[in-house]
Amino acid sequence: MAVAASAAHGHATHNPVRFNRLGLWLFFFSESILFGLLLTTRFFLEGIEREHVDQHLGLAITIILLLSSLTAFTAETAIEHNNQRVANWFLMATIVLGIIFAAGVGFEWKTAEFSRHEAFGSVFFTMTGIHAAHVVSGIGILFLVWIQLKRGKFNSKNHWPVSGSVMYWHFVDVVWVFFYPALYLVK
Amino acid sequence: MTAAMQKGLIVAVILAVLTVAEYIFATSVTQTETQFIGLAVTAIGKAALICYYFMHIYRLWRAEEAH
Amino acid sequence: MYAAKSVSGGIGLGLIGFYLGLGFIALLRWTLGYPEPWGGEINIIGGYIFGLIGWLMGVGMWGIWGREWFGQRTYPRKAPGWQRYFTFNTDHKVIGVQYTVTFIIVFLLAGALAMMMRLELANSGMQFLSHAQYNGTMSLHGTLMIAVAVAAVIGGIGNYAIPLLIGAEDMAFPRLNALTFWLVPPVAVALLSTPFLGGMETGWTAYPPLSVTTNSAQIMFDLGIITFGLTSILGGLNFLVTIMFMRAPGLSWGRLPIFVWAIFATSWIALLYTQGFAVALLLIALDRVAGMAFFNSTAGGDPLLYQHVFWFYSHPAVYIMVLPGFGMALEIIAHFSRKPLFAYRYAVGAFLGILGLSGVVWAHHMFTAGIPNYLHGPFLVATELISVPTGLVFLSALGTIWMGKLWLKTPMLFALAVIFNFGCGGVTGIFLADVPTDIHLQDTYFVVAHFHYTIVGGEIFGLFAGIYYYFPKITGRMYNETLGKLQFWWMFIAFNVTFFTMHLPGVQGMNRRIADYQSGLDTVNLIVSLSGLFLGASFILFVYNMINSWIRGPLAGDNPWQVRTLEWQVSSPPPLENFPTPPVVQGHPYDYGVPGSVHGVFPGQKLGGVPVVGGGGGQ
Repeated sequence: MAVAASAAHGHATHNPVRFNRLGLWLFFFSESILFGLLLTTRFFLEGIEREHVDQHLGLAITIILLLSSLTAFTAETAIEHNNQRVANWFLMATIVLGIIFAAGVGFEWKTAEFSRHEAFGSVFFTMTGIHAAHVVSGIGILFLVWIQLKRGKFNSKNHWPVSGSVMYWHFVDVVWVFFYPALYLVK
Repeated sequence: MTAAMQKGLIVAVILAVLTVAEYIFATSVTQTETQFIGLAVTAIGKAALICYYFMHIYRLWRAEEAH
Repeated sequence: MYAAKSVSGGIGLGLIGFYLGLGFIALLRWTLGYPEPWGGEINIIGGYIFGLIGWLMGVGMWGIWGREWFGQRTYPRKAPGWQRYFTFNTDHKVIGVQYTVTFIIVFLLAGALAMMMRLELANSGMQFLSHAQYNGTMSLHGTLMIAVAVAAVIGGIGNYAIPLLIGAEDMAFPRLNALTFWLVPPVAVALLSTPFLGGMETGWTAYPPLSVTTNSAQIMFDLGIITFGLTSILGGLNFLVTIMFMRAPGLSWGRLPIFVWAIFATSWIALLYTQGFAVALLLIALDRVAGMAFFNSTAGGDPLLYQHVFWFYSHPAVYIMVLPGFGMALEIIAHFSRKPLFAYRYAVGAFLGILGLSGVVWAHHMFTAGIPNYLHGPFLVATELISVPTGLVFLSALGTIWMGKLWLKTPMLFALAVIFNFGCGGVTGIFLADVPTDIHLQDTYFVVAHFHYTIVGGEIFGLFAGIYYYFPKITGRMYNETLGKLQFWWMFIAFNVTFFTMHLPGVQGMNRRIADYQSGLDTVNLIVSLSGLFLGASFILFVYNMINSWIRGPLAGDNPWQVRTLEWQVSSPPPLENFPTPPVVQGHPYDYGVPGSVHGVFPGQKLGGVPVVGGGGGQ
């Protein structure tokens, strides 16, 4: 019987980036259920009703988060082409925009007209709160990666931490893409 | 600015336009069912754009090396 | 001593973290102007989170993993001998043993709680427990057992065997694997603290309004379970990537041992649905700690929301429990019948079908909760439909046994018992799936008998089958077969007497979760209690056999069962990275008796100048 020639080597060569990528997407899949259930809770309790929220603030922070996704994308593309300076700059820009987003949410919380002791308030504060927790953890992760990037640890061949943290950031933006209309726009 | 970055910029502009359009749509349309479906479709569209162009979901199926 | 440094380091940093967390929340509360900065459950939440991080870092995760995030060099700990099991060790074989031993201990503890319950229930009226103490005992028994059922087979046997079965040197994410194990001791601490905080009165289901208004044991339950859910999700993720990307060359999906398929399906369920429990408990915690109104109907909330979100996870959870049991049973039945697994593709389809259907049947737990009538029909039909793929699993098992040459060793006895027990349990499920009968049986001991038959009978028997089966591989020694068989019959008979009898008071309306009942049911309950105690005693024999054989059992050799799958082609226990020569798979795992068939070969490995062909044993 013919023994496959391809098997006649040492341990199988696994590509760790492939593993990491699939693992991260599976994690996103799981987190989508978390956010999906919160979304379902919102519609289960409140139907399509909504109380008054600050529309201009909502639109502003949405655009800011979108911009931060663009800067994150630029940072990742830059490091893929070995452009350290641009990657550095745009990763920091992402962090700054993320902080502004979080501050915006905090401001919305302070000036909200509804209270957390009633159903809509419970839903609103919980959804934005869990989302904000992911934003803050994303900022933390991006910051740790930024430090490594500054020290020259990444290049076009080896930059998974940049890709991974940027993907996490995009995921947080995708969640907001669904949360924003559900909390601000639906009537 | 490289071609890859340009692509990202274009997608971002499309997303921004969609967001503003979404806002205008939501504030002007009062019919609840239409509004809900319109917002849902826009959200799914934006999410799909981000998943494909920003998060490179297609790389899950490519067995390439460096990425 | 590396072991002492790890565990005491973990405890030390954990305690420091706990107090830091309490203080941090107090600081936040003080700066934001809340009264009583130190006086809340929210401080405990902060303390738990910081304490958890401290524990993980102290137990070895900082050195092996944490440092990398800050750009520093990591260093693996080299702990010799038995100390490996008490450190942050990334070897999947070590982690598998850690999980198995930990969950056997938890199982025995939860079993002792059950003995206390049965002592109280032996007679109507109150014996020695108050109502509150009974509720606390019952809730802790349920919670601990759920944890064992969800994680023991997949975390213990799965972690040990899956990389070996697919010809890999470890899991895809070894450090993540170790993390999932080391999250378990804090969960145990959180759950075992509940008796000291007033006892959990709500059962493991933790329905509001009681779970929102009850004592602080509830918050420890919430924190513990959310942590435990994380281990389920991350573990499932690890198995999925491992099975998808790390199979040996030639090991196509159609040649995968059925246990691997079962773990694959289970991992999808765990990954997808576990967030449901986390969300449900998060909302409870928010209602408690932040005064929110999710379940407060006067403020616009709805207690039924909890039940929907909770059961959205907790129904698929029972398939997380049972699929590994089925997988282990089918695997052992094939090898110990010396026949190909009958209807292999249908069995695989069955697992995937159960995976698909598991998520659309949850409201059958809520038929009497006040859900709208139009939901009864669809959930009834969907629940009945799940018996179709389950039936295919039985088809596979029975077809394999038919005309097979059965080798009735202890693992095979347990595997056959899985099929018998789950057959009984599944049949009683039909009465619960049908709304007209469920209305009378809901919340009675009929339900208790049903789920003990399916979960204990299906999964715990599967766990024991797996432990006996893999004991020689893990320890290198053979357990005592006579004691094993004796333990099997003792457990099987006691189990069936206990839980078969239990259906009777159920049909007569005896309520579950209450320590007292109508005096006419005294005799039946006494029988259940006595045989329950008898069942508990069988585990003493099990523990004795395991410990005695591990220390001084006869050497088992590489392949005492003469089985063809890859893990039996290496030494017992396997070497550090499992396969000194990587295997290449050239055929199915169960083709016993088919001339010239082979499962795995080890090219390049020669013995006396002749290439070694593994996996041909037992022909």
